[in-house]
Formats: sequence, C-alpha cells, structure tokens
Amino acid sequence: MKYAFFLGCVIPVKYPGFESATREVASALDIELVDMEFSCCPSPTVIKLVHYESWLALAARNLCLAEEEGLDILTMCNGCTNTLKEANHVLKQEPALRKKVNEILKPWDREFKGTIEVKHLLDVLCDDVGLAAISRRATRRIPFGVACHYGCHFHRPPRIMYPDRLSPSKSLVPTQMDDVLTAIGVRIVPYMRRFLCCGAALGTKVDLDAANEITKEKLRHMADRHVEAISVACPSCFEQFDRAQVLLKPADGFRFTMPVFYISQLLGLAFDIDEEKLGFSEHRVKVDPLLASTGVRGEAGHPRREAEQGRGPIS
Amino acid sequence: MKTPALFDEELLYECYQCARCTGSCPAALAVEGFNPRNILLKCLRLGLQSAITDEKLWCCCTCHVCEDRCPQIIDVTDLLMSIMNEAARHGYMPEKVRVSTNMILHTGRAVLVSKRVAHLRKKLGLNPLRTIPMDEVEGILEKTGLAAMMG
Repeated sequence: MKYAFFLGCVIPVKYPGFESATREVASALDIELVDMEFSCCPSPTVIKLVHYESWLALAARNLCLAEEEGLDILTMCNGCTNTLKEANHVLKQEPALRKKVNEILKPWDREFKGTIEVKHLLDVLCDDVGLAAISRRATRRIPFGVACHYGCHFHRPPRIMYPDRLSPSKSLVPTQMDDVLTAIGVRIVPYMRRFLCCGAALGTKVDLDAANEITKEKLRHMADRHVEAISVACPSCFEQFDRAQVLLKPADGFRFTMPVFYISQLLGLAFDIDEEKLGFSEHRVKVDPLLASTGVRGEAGHPRREAEQGRGPIS
Repeated sequence: MKTPALFDEELLYECYQCARCTGSCPAALAVEGFNPRNILLKCLRLGLQSAITDEKLWCCCTCHVCEDRCPQIIDVTDLLMSIMNEAARHGYMPEKVRVSTNMILHTGRAVLVSKRVAHLRKKLGLNPLRTIPMDEVEGILEKTGLAAMMG
C-alpha cells in the first residue's frame, strides 16, 4: 500500500505529533507514505468561501501532483479531505470546469486527469488495511471509555463524501472510527449529539467565544456519559476540544478534563509505539493522569505482563 | 474566470421557510441573529446584494447539517457559500478570514510557521517542513483573480 501523504497546514505546524504518530502507525501496518510539495488544500472554511475558483484551482494542483505519481492521496485532516474529495468529484463530473482549471494550470505543465482517489486515514485503515490486520497488531489494552467525534467535514455532504455508503435512505452517519477503535479493543461511549459540529470554523472565522459555546454543548453531553477521553480525526476538532476545556472557566459551572486524542495516537498506544513519538507534549488537557491511573503507562499495563497473566493480545 | 454554475438561484424558490436548516444549525445555536432561513428569504425578496454586508453571514461553519435535514433537499451551505463569495468580491469579509486568505496567498499555508516548529519537529524525529513552490501557487492565484481581489 502506497499513498501520497497529504499533511495539510495544521498538523505539521501545530501538532507534528499527529504526523509522527501516523508515520509510525503506517509503518507498523506496511503503509508507505510519499511526501510531496503540496500547498494548503486549500481550506473549505477560508478560500472556498472567499473565492470558489481559486479554491478549485489550488486543490486541482494538489490533486495533479499525486496523479503525476500515480498515487491515491491519504489525508489526516477533515478539512483537507473535504476539499480534495469535493474538488476531485467536481472536476471529474464537470468537463467545463475541468477545462477552465486546466487552462489555469497549463503554464506549470499540469493537467487534471481524474485518475486518483482521496482517502482519509480512517478509510485507508478500514478499507485497505482491514480491521483484522489492525486488531492483530494491537498488543496493549486501552482500558478507558472513549467518545468518538468524527467532525462534519469528514462525511458531509454525503452526496460527495460518501455517495455509495451514506444517503438519507441508508444512514447519514459514518462508522469508521467506531470500527477502528473497536478493533483495537477500545470501549466506545455513546453520547447525545454525537454528530454536532465542534465549532472550530466559527472560531477561526468570526467569534471564538461563540464557537466555544457549541463546544461546551458537546463536552457537556460527553461528560454526562462519563467519557474519559475524546477521539478525533481532525486537528481543527482537536484544537477546539482541547483549547475549550482550558478556556471554559469553572465559573461557568463547567470543569472538563477529558484528554483529546488524534486517532493515530490511540492506535500508537495500542501498538505499543514509543510514547515519545506520539507527541502528547502539545496537549493542553494533559494525558498523563489518565494514562497513569488506567495503567496504560507503566508496568501494570505492559502487554508482556498481561500475556504472563494469560490475557494475551486483544483478539 | 466567472463563478461556476454551482450556485443555483432557482433553489431559493424551493424553500418554503420551514426553518429546519436554522433549527439544526450549530452556529445559529451560538450566535444570536445568525439565521440561515432568514438569509435565504432576504435573497429571495430583496436580492443577493441585500445579504452580503452583514458579517454574521460568515458564521456558517459549513458543517452541511442543514442539507441533511432540509425537506426540500436544498444545498443550503452551497447557497451561503455563494453569498459569501459575492460578499468577498465586494470587499466584505471578516478580518480573520482576510488574514487567513492572505496567508495562503503569500505562504501557501493557512497557519503561521513559528520558530518553535522546527524544534518541535526535530524532537519528534521528523524532517523539516517541505518548501512550497510559491512561484507556482502565487501564479495560479494570480490567474484565478484572487491576488487582484485581495489587493
């Protein structure tokens, strides 16, 4: 398995730990990642709203780079996934737009041909690697209750993001994160309003305080169900949940301490990958108390000790 | 290059003002006065131009949940996007959006690279950030007209 590795803007700059965790997890699962000179995807919450044509043309350039190498793109961020999947879809479907965009790209010898697919890490894990292989690789137990937050741009609008999988007549919500985390033995905690937005886009564009109100609503529903940690598939959702827990004052009547994990950090823990590579230092809500109290960190949770006790790897 | 025909104004006539979009909107929950149903009504009654000056327009998180719920299957988010495009063409956009757009225009990234990044990446054993061929990125955004629009 080989992919063009689309880092995006937020992860390599703000949360390089997610990048290094993903690289480690990929290597453990025999996924080869190829780095390229990609620019910003560009963001569906910035340039797309300001100037659609520019959004499409810059996205097309990124798609062309991967096409030239004959590789599908693997994304780590919902924003990148949303932009690249939608641009790929639009350019494949609309010959007139494709022609216009190709004229723009021509001076740089690029031409969108529509030969590749864009896949979020979760889709590569579910569809290309397979849950059985992931399960086999998991050697360390993660004995805390996790709330899954997919993030809007992961799956909406379904007519573009998952035309075959999601629709009003089937289901409008995805299951990939639940599936992957279940495969490594994580206990998923259901909660109200699972598919409500995290609020990040409102904060980056207009009003951070209002954005935190949306986040508070979600955090409250999670806390109501005694969630111990939050799992996300996007660095913007991560930042929003992580920062809001610090910014929302106890005076508001809320005090949340649910560490947030990017999906490959949880996989990294389950795969017993060196914690130094997972980048927990950038988390505002510290993971240490949870990892220590649940025995994930330290001898008690070590896989070999569990094997001695006859529990063995998780099946 | 003109706006693509993705914004279908005919869709406005499909809306019967049930407000399911607004009832399901996370931004409407948090921001008083942001009301997608009302924006569509305004466009229909008074024309697109009447909706472009209010900065609250930009509160849309583009979460697309309104589309999941709309009984008339209207792509509400895409309509709002087109109105924001029109607002930007007339120079109306929030300061934060202007800053992010200029950042992408001139650096190819949406996030500022601080001095700390190199240190952080090294600590994790990662390679330094790859350079982005800005001649090409800026050239493309010049040809599309973004550079001229941002001034």
